[in-house]
Amino acid sequence: MKQIILALVTTLAIAPAALAHSKAETTTPANESTVEKVEVIELRFDDPMRVTAITLTGPDGDVEIMRETGLDPVTEFRAMPSAIMPAGVYSVDWRGLSADGHPMQGTFGFTVAD
Amino acid sequence: MEGLAPIDGWALAAIIAKAAGYAAALVAMGGPLFLAAFRSAPDDVLRLARKLAVIAALIGLAVLALRFGIRAARISGMGPSGAIDAMMLSFVWDSPLGTAAIWRGAGALLIVAVLIEGTIGIVASLLGALLIATSYAFVGHSLGDPRWILAVLVVTHLLAAAFWVGALAPLHRSAANKDGAALLHRFGIIASGTVAVLVVVGVSFAWLMIGSFSGLFGTAYGWTLIVKICVVTGLLGLAAKNKLQLVPALAANKDDADGRLRRSIRMEVVAVALILLATATLTSITTPPVNL
Repeated sequence: MKQIILALVTTLAIAPAALAHSKAETTTPANESTVEKVEVIELRFDDPMRVTAITLTGPDGDVEIMRETGLDPVTEFRAMPSAIMPAGVYSVDWRGLSADGHPMQGTFGFTVAD
Repeated sequence: MEGLAPIDGWALAAIIAKAAGYAAALVAMGGPLFLAAFRSAPDDVLRLARKLAVIAALIGLAVLALRFGIRAARISGMGPSGAIDAMMLSFVWDSPLGTAAIWRGAGALLIVAVLIEGTIGIVASLLGALLIATSYAFVGHSLGDPRWILAVLVVTHLLAAAFWVGALAPLHRSAANKDGAALLHRFGIIASGTVAVLVVVGVSFAWLMIGSFSGLFGTAYGWTLIVKICVVTGLLGLAAKNKLQLVPALAANKDDADGRLRRSIRMEVVAVALILLATATLTSITTPPVNL
């Protein structure tokens, strides 16, 4: 029994510390902002987040974006639109898995003006 | 409301599956605990405890697989097809739920050893119960700070809850048995200690998650916790009535005492189901106020 308790204690001790939930993210462009052009879509988290899905939707439907940060957990997620985005209202919808295993999701929107 | 995640069909499915997983885990862990505490109980009661523990352990494994699928679908944004997407499932496996699944799976298999009569069966299945309880320390809000204290609190809370929940069906059977009152009386004595532990560690965990009275009344986490506390209070009332009125009435062979006690135990089961749903809501779609 002592060995079992020791094994439990050791496993708990070496497991990586992780905060419950990543706190609310900040984004680029900022939510509800108006910008002239979009060079990058950024999401910033307090704790590493594995962004598993992200879509950018504009006036003409889905806009293709290229991930720069891949699928590893990151505190700063970056993706670039693959073409110049025409003026209009856009929204970003993302899904992810936080460090404590919670499925997370969020949406933010912005306007591109000439 | 502050600290409330978006709720869609998948989130609701996740809550229901998680509550079912809690129920299965508690009944599976509770079987060996019951057998260890009441080794001299009548054979039919012990058989029921063993059978339910094994069935619950197997259901728990199935629910765990279902939860993997639901979680993969949620993070994929692809709908139902995401539930069987290999990459999304591998992300879930790499997450704390994967670590918890290994402990919970090993625990469930050890619980099956409860079918072996004698000390080996009891010890192996008790170890299984400990593994299942510990699996919950690897995931979710118990990963917050102070990590060690939260882990000890959640494991203790689950074992104490399992002792109660796992005993409900055997006690229900026992209430119909001739001479069942002695076992029920003994359970009442032990439970008055374990329930006190259950409540104290539960309140301690909640306080570490909330940190202030404004956190209790101003957040989704706080309000969900208040709902849980209300149902728990009702459950404690039922338990007190059983211990102080209905079990003594059964011992005194009063008319319909067994029927009233069995009805009361069935009501306890309903209350437990509500508590598990509230807990699954708390741990799925709300953020602890200390993290806001």
